[in-house]
Amino acid sequence: MTATLRLTRRRAIAIVAAAAGLAALPSAGRATVPRHTLYRWTGDAMGARASIALLHPDRDAAEHIVTAAVAEVRRLEEIFSLFRPASAVVRLNRDGRLDAPPLDLVALLRAAEAMSSATRGAFDATVQPLWHLYRHHFSAPGADRNGPSAPAIEACRHLIDHGAVVADSGAVAFRRPGMSITLNGIAQGFVTDRVADVLRARGAERVLLDLGEIRALGAAADGTPWRIGVEGTDVILPVTDMAVATSAGRGTVFDAAGRFHHLFDPRDGRCAARYRSVTVTAPTATVADGLSTALSVVAPHDAVEILKGFSRATAHFILADGRVLRIGA
Amino acid sequence: MPSVTSKRPAGSFAWGWRRILGAAAVAILLCLPRSQAGADDLARVLPDIALNTLVPGADAAGPVEGDPPAAPVLRRGRQVGLILLTSDVVASSGYSGKPVKIAVGLDLSGKITGAAIVEHHEPILVLGIGKPHLDAFLEQFRGFDLRRPVRVVSEGEQAPPGSTGVHMVTGASITSLVFSDGIVRAARLVARSRGLIGDADGPGLDIESFREADWESLVRDGSVRHLTVTAGDVAARLGEEAGAEPERVMLDIFLALVTPAAIGQNLFGFQAHSALLAGLPDGSHVIMVAGGGAYSFKGYTFARTGVFDRLQVVQGERTIRLRTDMYRPVEAFAATAAPEVRDIGLFILGPDSGFDPVRPWRVDVMVDTARPDGSASGVAVPFEYQVPASLIRAAAPVAMPAEPPLWRQRWEAERTSIVILGITLAVVLAILFLHDGLARRPRIMQWLRPTLLLFTLVYLGWTVNAQLSVLNVLTVVGALINGFQWDFFLMEPTIFILWCFVAVTVLFWGRGVFCGWLCPFGAMQELLHRLAIAFGVAQIRIPYRLHERLLPLKYFIFLGLVAVALGIPSWVEILAEVEPFKTAIALKMMREGRFVFYALAIVGLSLHLERPFCRYLCPLGAGLAIASRNPMFDWLQRRRQCGTECTLCASRCPVQAVHANGQVDQHECIYCLSCQTLYHDDHKCPPLVARRRRREGGQQREDRP
Repeated sequence: MTATLRLTRRRAIAIVAAAAGLAALPSAGRATVPRHTLYRWTGDAMGARASIALLHPDRDAAEHIVTAAVAEVRRLEEIFSLFRPASAVVRLNRDGRLDAPPLDLVALLRAAEAMSSATRGAFDATVQPLWHLYRHHFSAPGADRNGPSAPAIEACRHLIDHGAVVADSGAVAFRRPGMSITLNGIAQGFVTDRVADVLRARGAERVLLDLGEIRALGAAADGTPWRIGVEGTDVILPVTDMAVATSAGRGTVFDAAGRFHHLFDPRDGRCAARYRSVTVTAPTATVADGLSTALSVVAPHDAVEILKGFSRATAHFILADGRVLRIGA
Repeated sequence: MPSVTSKRPAGSFAWGWRRILGAAAVAILLCLPRSQAGADDLARVLPDIALNTLVPGADAAGPVEGDPPAAPVLRRGRQVGLILLTSDVVASSGYSGKPVKIAVGLDLSGKITGAAIVEHHEPILVLGIGKPHLDAFLEQFRGFDLRRPVRVVSEGEQAPPGSTGVHMVTGASITSLVFSDGIVRAARLVARSRGLIGDADGPGLDIESFREADWESLVRDGSVRHLTVTAGDVAARLGEEAGAEPERVMLDIFLALVTPAAIGQNLFGFQAHSALLAGLPDGSHVIMVAGGGAYSFKGYTFARTGVFDRLQVVQGERTIRLRTDMYRPVEAFAATAAPEVRDIGLFILGPDSGFDPVRPWRVDVMVDTARPDGSASGVAVPFEYQVPASLIRAAAPVAMPAEPPLWRQRWEAERTSIVILGITLAVVLAILFLHDGLARRPRIMQWLRPTLLLFTLVYLGWTVNAQLSVLNVLTVVGALINGFQWDFFLMEPTIFILWCFVAVTVLFWGRGVFCGWLCPFGAMQELLHRLAIAFGVAQIRIPYRLHERLLPLKYFIFLGLVAVALGIPSWVEILAEVEPFKTAIALKMMREGRFVFYALAIVGLSLHLERPFCRYLCPLGAGLAIASRNPMFDWLQRRRQCGTECTLCASRCPVQAVHANGQVDQHECIYCLSCQTLYHDDHKCPPLVARRRRREGGQQREDRP
């Protein structure tokens, strides 16, 4: 018996959980093991469907753990959201500087910078001006269907430079006026990791955490790895204490034809999803999320080079024709 | 005793009950289509709200979010408070039975900073009491601390000690209560959900208890938490390979909540601990972060920047950065067998930080490392803390004094008037039951009735405002549609009791018991009419045929109002002004000219004509008359000769409720008993006069029935 959870969201992924994991362990042979029952929370995290599947012997305790986890999600949304007017990111984008920022923002900016240098610029959180450019272009009546003009894109490119972001724990700031950041390509992973910390600190050992990116703590109920299915393929990734992240360009599109979307190549300022989707497994969700964003815009041979820098990361590229390309450990 | 006669057909008793069941069925049907409360109305009305009147200095508002919903408001990009709409948070319907929408501003310390009406349908306020009264009422909530209980008091009354008193709008007590209740309850729910104030019955921290404990037992019972993080742990958090010395201790951290004597006094000694707490504002707490290890949690820049660049405190959805003004360095522990650690820092979390000492919290220590390529990386390493359960009191009796339900507060406050009303109703019942004996004693009736009417007018009417109104009926109709709440109807005890009494008496005796004895405006008309007669004011006698054609008018008015109540509820309050009750009774004629003119016109007319309003216009009377189609008891006695040989009662009935054929019209009768007085008067009732004369003279013919 296999229970299948199909979650469709922006970052499409399907989770296949082993049968015993979801079926509340009725088996008689395990009488000595405390009965782990599945406690499941579903809701929203950072604008996407989210769920926490927690295996725990005590229902009340499980509820408290999940409440703490959701509070952590809300706290971080208040820092990273581009839509909440008082969020740290919105204030940074507006003022170009933020004193005494939440340490989470400092840590994530540093992680983003590290990701940017490890992917040779294929990841860059400072692409937010491009997003404004494209959205503005396509929301005007009679917009050119071929996208913004080359000079317009060129004018934006000097604002795209992760090296120009200062991430001190006393203050974060941009070195150039007009810069702005989006952490949407990596924040979900970061939030997933921080929530995993909260879950572990409260004694949760077996959790499948899906906050836009997936992180598995421990094993599924029968002791086997959690099984994550990559949507649109028959690939199933067995994961234990690992994270899985997927990026797909078709999630947010600007034009009716779907040629322009939110995955920008920071190196030339174009919309550049080369694949139907890219799924990355890595030890932390921050790395998996940032890597999947970066790998979406690079050619396979560049991806091989980039992945050499991440010893425990694996990437599955779903090509336009449905074939799957696997690179990495 | 004369026998009780009835002109109703046999079996009418059963018919009456069938009617009641039918009415109940209708009531149940009306219950079915419950209207949906408009959730999240705030988002709709937010653009029209002047933010800085609700939260001083606010210049922008964020999106409505959360449960219960509220919108953050900002000043120069920093959140300074919240705005909520009462109807989004609590179901508080006003006197009209319709939701009251009040926008309320809160600051982040759990105080109300302003309140403004967005929408209401309160009848008094629609036409009676002006905006200035209302603004003055709402102004009282500015600065109200949600942790304190609130009491709505009337002019001159004192709020109980420890609570905040709010003066009600005179003449609009229910409305004041409902507004106050809605504002405070909704604001508390929002403030609590955002952690601005503690839970009403939430647990409290035991600060005072002290038992000496050494370092080891403090660590063992969780008063002090000791956590270490190695270089390997930090690398794993970064998703990197462990470096050369994975076992090297990077952070060796001790955490404690210092506020309770059981922890703080053991750690630092009595003097240091009490000196530390003495200077702090109420609700402050002190935490300790101490430790060693290769990496300093304090960092090196705080003296220059004013911020501890490696520390933040996290609790629930709150992130608190630690600044130097919160910092109190300590040299060493006083506890026995305490280790020596490099740094001991105490941090004061003020009442506005929202820190709740009994809930779990953590300190994030930002660990900066250099990457192989020279770039900085950082990871926030969490250290969790939870104060031991032995220091948590199950419920803090002082946390937030509970208030009894609003309606019970009202019943307690109105105790005196409830008792007096009870006595009044008992007197009226006694008159009903003893009417026969009373009617034989015209001299008693002569003073009893005016006395009681005067009492009804002055006490029930002007003093306690217990004037029933057709609006009550329409409110019940509205409540059956929108969701019936007992609490709401219990809020005005005297009105509630009166209605219960009227419901019973209408079924048993008809509308007359209320209209004739307990309606203040009816009493006013009748008393004035009596005065007018005493002063010889000319009287109008409406010809019966005209009278008959004027009677239906009140039914049209009543049915019209019901129709409007179902269709366009917002018009009802205005149309219900056909009743001069509010002008003449609730507001004692202190109102805009047109209303006073109308009321005075009716009062003036009543000098020439008994109870003109009751007879031809009163929608409440009409509603009660419909319900009193077949009263169970017909105690008004008639004679065989009534309407055939004699029409004295018909011509003497003040409201022309006795037909020329001798029957009493229950729809019109005000139970004044004047026909019964006549009935027993052997100097007036012709058949009795005849019998008396015969007895005295012995030559008149027999006329016993």
